[in-house]
Amino acid sequence: MRIALAGNPNSGKTTLFNALTGSIEHVGNWPGVTVARKEGYVKKQLNTNQNIRIVDLPGTYSMSPFTSEERITKDYVQSEQPDVIINIIDASNLSRSLFFTTQLLSLGVPVVIALNKWDLIAKKAIDIDLVHLSKDLNCPIIEVSALRQKGLKTLLDTCIERKGTIQKPVFTERTDANLNKEEWLIEENERSSFVAQLVKHVEKRSIDSHQMNFNDQIDRIVAHPFFGIPIFVVILYGVFSISQATLGPFLADYFVGWIDLFYAIVADLMGNQVSPFLQALVLDGVIGGVGAIVGFLPLIMVLFFMLALLEDSGYMARVALIMDPYLKKVGLSGRSIIPMVISTGCAIPGIMSTRTIRDERQRRTTAMLTSFMPCGAKLPVIALFAGVFFQDAAWVGTLMYFMGILIIFFGAIVIRKINGDTSKASYFIMELPEYRIPSLKRAFIAMISQGKQFVIKAVTIILLSNILVQIMQTFSWNLQLVEEGAEASSILASIATPIALILVPLGFGVWQLAAAAITGFIAKENVVGTLAVVFGITNFIDVEALEVVSGTGEISSIMGITTIAALAYLVFNLFTPPCFAAIGAMNAELDSKKWLLGAIGFQLGMGYTLAYFIYQIGTLITTGQFGHGLFLGFLIVSFYIGSIVYLIKRNDQSQMTLQGA
Amino acid sequence: MILTKAKKHVTYTIQGIDTHDDAMKNFLFSLGCHAGQSITIISNFGANMVVNINDARYSIDSELAKAIIV
Repeated sequence: MRIALAGNPNSGKTTLFNALTGSIEHVGNWPGVTVARKEGYVKKQLNTNQNIRIVDLPGTYSMSPFTSEERITKDYVQSEQPDVIINIIDASNLSRSLFFTTQLLSLGVPVVIALNKWDLIAKKAIDIDLVHLSKDLNCPIIEVSALRQKGLKTLLDTCIERKGTIQKPVFTERTDANLNKEEWLIEENERSSFVAQLVKHVEKRSIDSHQMNFNDQIDRIVAHPFFGIPIFVVILYGVFSISQATLGPFLADYFVGWIDLFYAIVADLMGNQVSPFLQALVLDGVIGGVGAIVGFLPLIMVLFFMLALLEDSGYMARVALIMDPYLKKVGLSGRSIIPMVISTGCAIPGIMSTRTIRDERQRRTTAMLTSFMPCGAKLPVIALFAGVFFQDAAWVGTLMYFMGILIIFFGAIVIRKINGDTSKASYFIMELPEYRIPSLKRAFIAMISQGKQFVIKAVTIILLSNILVQIMQTFSWNLQLVEEGAEASSILASIATPIALILVPLGFGVWQLAAAAITGFIAKENVVGTLAVVFGITNFIDVEALEVVSGTGEISSIMGITTIAALAYLVFNLFTPPCFAAIGAMNAELDSKKWLLGAIGFQLGMGYTLAYFIYQIGTLITTGQFGHGLFLGFLIVSFYIGSIVYLIKRNDQSQMTLQGA
Repeated sequence: MILTKAKKHVTYTIQGIDTHDDAMKNFLFSLGCHAGQSITIISNFGANMVVNINDARYSIDSELAKAIIV
């Protein structure tokens, strides 16, 4: 049988879904975490002797037939015909939830109400007469706590009992399909009064919700226009310094030790019996390349753990509130900050979370720009360059985050100028969920799930890329082993060299670096993996140990580029398109080939232009003359800037014609 | 008067929503923000404010607050 979960945003649908199915879908304490439908089977522990499929629908406050996002629930119920609908209600917000409930009850499918957060209402001095309410709604009500996994068995048993029955509507016999908009509005007004009457009967509140409570006291400081931003900066700084400067690297040090040990054991095992090619493939291509990335796993897992805590606390909605006035100035919405924070973990969920932004232009702009925030996969790249070229300076990482933010603001202004401000008055409204102490257990689960994905990526896509890179650099086109000293005749070198030419004006026109930048588009971690393979370096975190291994003193000298060029290379890798998967997510959210091409073009141009200026100006300052390829780069950058200016001018003119007419 | 002119911690009854944005009006309706309902300003930060509607807290910007007539 099939059960659909429906309810208001942030009522705990996904938490219930996870509790019922044993999945580890992303949850967070802010409205709109679930943006797409999710399905799963009820886990065995809840032993129901039946095969039950659960569908988690995105949260909504109502089922208006006139807006697309609110039609999702209704369309689903009508086309897929689930056997039962579980309507999840936040017990502490009965009056708003029941509005949607009465709409669900009119669909004909049997409804079971799961009264969630039941354990919290005693604290809030709310008393609900469940017997009365259940009778008035013609459907059973089960008290559950999705968080503590209570009442789940009873809930499912009730659903099984109700299967096959027909739901009696409580409020109206009319069906929405035959109503025009005005009739519908009248009906909704009646519905609202009906719900108000019902709540009056069954709910007793000893504490008036219009009064200030503890949450409001916190908000007065946290959401304050002057204190709010510094608090946000301190919190973010805490998240990044713990994951990337203190705890993360501390754990990584141990971890890398094990990888090195593993490398040594395998090298020992193979001895001299194995051919040098196979030896290099296994040691440098597989263990070295993948190990170079997996070594960063602790940093990334700590980061995801911290981000999960942040999302669970209820703080994200406040960040949207304090950032709204500033984001509005550049044509974005306060909600745009949530995708940006999520993107510091991974751009894909970040891009998907833009779906909660109502205005189309704001939504697309955010989806297009949010991946400029350095994500977890870019951490190894940042850490590598900070370690090798800048003595692990903390400012490198910080600078990259600030550049990301600046680019987003700048990009938003440019896009608004190109598109014109099409949005009507763009209102901002966001429910402020209650704060709660973030659950370590849930953060741990989120961290493990993300860590697992990272490892899976490392042993599939990245492993494959590394093997290919290793093979391509070992063989020449006529399948001969490349001899020492003739590396430039390899397949990899011949493919990467033409691309390296375009990169000369950026200071890193070396085929190895070009190859790493290209594989970086497949997955950003590949930059590190490929560099490890092409330069035969295996340990990037422990730079001191590396000097001994390489014997040449510094990796910077192996790579053969200046410090300024290294910074340009880092910027190029961070601010060009993130990876194919993120581009795919962008394609889905932008839902327009024109926007997608614009997004990719904008990102490629942005990375190139920034790297160009950093290298050329930096070189001028440090050596007194410009770097290589000044003119070629100037042509490319001029073309990019020229295109943007042209698009802006074109929009200005069409605006003028509009005004003239 | 419009909500931006209203006092903090006083519960008002909403008289109507003054906007041409029908989608927004419907959305507010589903939250319980429509004529006849009560609304209280919990905190006012100038560019935005925190209000209580229908037993829930929302942050709204001054644009939206101007459209709410109390």
